[in-house]
Amino acid sequence: MSINRKIITKNAYRITKERGKTALRVRVPGGHLPVRHFETIKLIADKYGNGSVHITTRQGFEIPDIDFKYIPEINKIIRPVLEDLELSIGVDIVELHKGYPAAGTRNIAACIGNRVCPFANYDTTDMAISIEKEVFPNHYHVKIACTGCPNDCIKAHSQDFGIIGMTEPQYDESRCISCQACVKNCKKKVTEALTFKNYSVVRDEKRCIGCGECAMKCPVGAMTRSSKKYFSVVIMGRTGKKNPRLAMPFMKWAEKDVVIQVIKNTYPFIDKYIDKSLVKEHVGYIVDRVGYKKFKDIVLDGIEFNDELEVAESINFGGYWYERNNCFEKPV
Amino acid sequence: MSNPYLPVEAKILSFKDETDIDRTYRIKCDIPVNGGQFFQVSLPGAGEAPISISDFNEDSVDLTIRNVGKLTTEIFKLKVGDKLFIRGPYGNGFNLAGLENKKLIVIAGGTGLAPVKNVINHFCKNRDKLKSFDLILGFKSPEDILFSKEIERWKSLIDVILTVDKGEKSWKGDTGLVTEYIKTLGIEAGPDYSVIVVGPPVMIKFTTMELLKNGISENQIIISLERNMSCGIGKCGHCKIDSRYVCLDGPVFDYIQAKNLID
Amino acid sequence: MGYRLKPKYFDDVLSALSKHYDIMAPALMPFETRHSAQEVVGYRKIESLKEIVVDKKTFFSPKEILFPPRETMFYFTDSKIRESEYEEKNKIILLRTCDLNGIERLKNMFLNNGDVKDNYFKRRFESTKFWLIECDDGFDSCFCASMNSNKADSYSTAIKFTEEDILVDSNDNMFSELFKSYGVEEDYKVSFIEKNKLEVKVPLSENINPAVFEHDIWQEYIKRCIACGRCNTSCISCSCFTTHDIIYDDNKRRGERRRVWAGCHLDNFSIMAGGHDYRTKNGERMRFKTMHKIYDYHKRFGKHMCVGCGRCDDVCPEYISFSKCINKLYDIIEKENDK
Repeated sequence: MSINRKIITKNAYRITKERGKTALRVRVPGGHLPVRHFETIKLIADKYGNGSVHITTRQGFEIPDIDFKYIPEINKIIRPVLEDLELSIGVDIVELHKGYPAAGTRNIAACIGNRVCPFANYDTTDMAISIEKEVFPNHYHVKIACTGCPNDCIKAHSQDFGIIGMTEPQYDESRCISCQACVKNCKKKVTEALTFKNYSVVRDEKRCIGCGECAMKCPVGAMTRSSKKYFSVVIMGRTGKKNPRLAMPFMKWAEKDVVIQVIKNTYPFIDKYIDKSLVKEHVGYIVDRVGYKKFKDIVLDGIEFNDELEVAESINFGGYWYERNNCFEKPV
Repeated sequence: MSNPYLPVEAKILSFKDETDIDRTYRIKCDIPVNGGQFFQVSLPGAGEAPISISDFNEDSVDLTIRNVGKLTTEIFKLKVGDKLFIRGPYGNGFNLAGLENKKLIVIAGGTGLAPVKNVINHFCKNRDKLKSFDLILGFKSPEDILFSKEIERWKSLIDVILTVDKGEKSWKGDTGLVTEYIKTLGIEAGPDYSVIVVGPPVMIKFTTMELLKNGISENQIIISLERNMSCGIGKCGHCKIDSRYVCLDGPVFDYIQAKNLID
Repeated sequence: MGYRLKPKYFDDVLSALSKHYDIMAPALMPFETRHSAQEVVGYRKIESLKEIVVDKKTFFSPKEILFPPRETMFYFTDSKIRESEYEEKNKIILLRTCDLNGIERLKNMFLNNGDVKDNYFKRRFESTKFWLIECDDGFDSCFCASMNSNKADSYSTAIKFTEEDILVDSNDNMFSELFKSYGVEEDYKVSFIEKNKLEVKVPLSENINPAVFEHDIWQEYIKRCIACGRCNTSCISCSCFTTHDIIYDDNKRRGERRRVWAGCHLDNFSIMAGGHDYRTKNGERMRFKTMHKIYDYHKRFGKHMCVGCGRCDDVCPEYISFSKCINKLYDIIEKENDK
């Protein structure tokens, strides 16, 4: 059997452990899917696969147990999904009948966001779609996810770019009844950014993470949400076999356009610094190698910053190295 | 229209420490008052609190204040000649005329003695206006006894039982709860009795139960409720119990009325 | 006699009146409160008809216009006291029947409970005109008819918003003149809702005995209620307040005494000097509120405090329904009574 593995992989098909069998990965930007596409997924799984589908951690579908020979046929069947989820949002796909044009930059995942969740500070699916439009198709391996609030249900902290919704609490002192609901809650659940002074609420801007809890708790609408939506961006989190680590804060109080522009600028950064001798160097390891400062200079280049934006001066990435983690012993 | 929330100044004429944490301030005040009423006492910046009138004469009022919070701590820093701010008096107070020609028993627990002190003084002065007059005073410990000098004076005029819940060996007087001494009064059921009970809610509850056992009927009992009055004029809602506002309709209630007030 | 006004002429009336009045009406608030991307309808100053929201109930009641959540009572400098000034424009409030009745309930407390009047409420109340918005069917959680607050007569002007036009009927000469010059005569009289989707049966006061206060019904709320106080703050008839003294940071000799809304479900409401709190359990607070709203206020003022606006049902994050609580209480009491 002769197949071009690289072409197959870029077409969103996987080399599986079973020779001759592949699996198709269907991406769902923002993790929200019109249910009519289940018909297509079902059709492919029933006709070409084994009648089952795996729900991926990145909110896609992986249809396994497909013979390689059916790829061209399946690419035609998957077309309406591509048209609806990619083309219609502005993703540039020239040859729709040929299936997915890339698989490197992974599906942009999103928690359920403010369409449903009471905590979420923005429409995460909408944001994910906006990002998808800018970065897909792309062969560089980049993981991005959007989460509505610092609860981080989508695990933005294990992504290359984790986008976390923020709101800037607006305090109307004339409506405040000094009940301290916000203050007590912030102390208990968040960062103790709010204190009670002279029967009013004082917010420590350095401590505030813009989670919006205070606005949720206020029974009089004295503490409300900002009409502008902000984002904090955590970067270069990862799992893997060398140095797993949580993403670290890179920007806060960024506007949507700034976030998207930074992600876009990351691709030329990768292009310039990636070690092509390696199989596929992940962006986090590139940043480790060339340094945060270079990364920062390149991704922030040419961006029109919003006034509120703050960027990390330096980042001390943590995590652990498997090879250095040797203090194990047999239990006694 | 005058604003009922604006306090007026009242000069401190003198003060006297009752216990480590209770102090009686005599303030200059010629507003007519009744025993059992209270003032809203404040210091701008420190807050306001209801303080019952422990005694008065034509141009002064005594306020016995327990140091338990921010406001009272500030008040305790004041000297003679300094000013307190007051609004009031509020509440109904005791109806002295209604007690005349009665066999009067006053049972007071702890700081509950303050609001009823004027009634005691009044009838000590006008002993002939009562058929009999008994006093049972209960405090936690000898250190908590309020108005000790006046109690000595009352003892010389009427029958006074002064008891503490718990006393050290040096305490020579009675010990035990006020309820234990009710039967020693030798009450013979009859229409002439009037009993005033003032003190914390639990004390009022058990004292009235004991009184009823000893032949006093419900309509002969008068109580004074302690509550968190705040505006003093029936607006703020803090002291509402059932359909009554303690600041307007109380703090003195007939027991029959009060027992049906459920919070 | 009433008038029919075209929207643009109604706007002209509003703009003519705005010289003398702030016109306060249900409208979208310029903020998001609890949740993002969720509109909040509340009371604010409006300038045109298109701002008025009539297809949704307001989250907050219009009581905040007459009884602000935070209000300075007086200022002090050392020991000199200066009453807070009142320089606001006269107001017109567009409100529904339940709320107008609710304001009557507030008036009872602030002006008629005891001999002394609350002059902060009084000065606002006396400089306000009430325009009644005619209800179509009401909203799902409304039960004004059950509380006898589906009718009102103490309004200056009644308004009906129809698809095309605005119908008005005013008892106020000044307003009538204006309407006359901008509209055409039409025989319009306000009509009231006779029946809500929701019916609430209120137990008779005489059937409420001490056992009711001890009943198990309140146990449920010990766990369910989280004491957030939204039922109090959204309620048109809740009028409790607490006073605080503030010393200014920039000048320690100066400060103010202010009052803020308090509520029986909020902490610190029932706390006494020395720290004793006589209602710590949330079930006790629910009982206290319920009895006040549908029992003891009535004993004192001859009308139930609750006007059935249903806002407490709408805003409770724990989905505790006050109307359901009243109905449960009714069933319990009537069952007892049958025995």
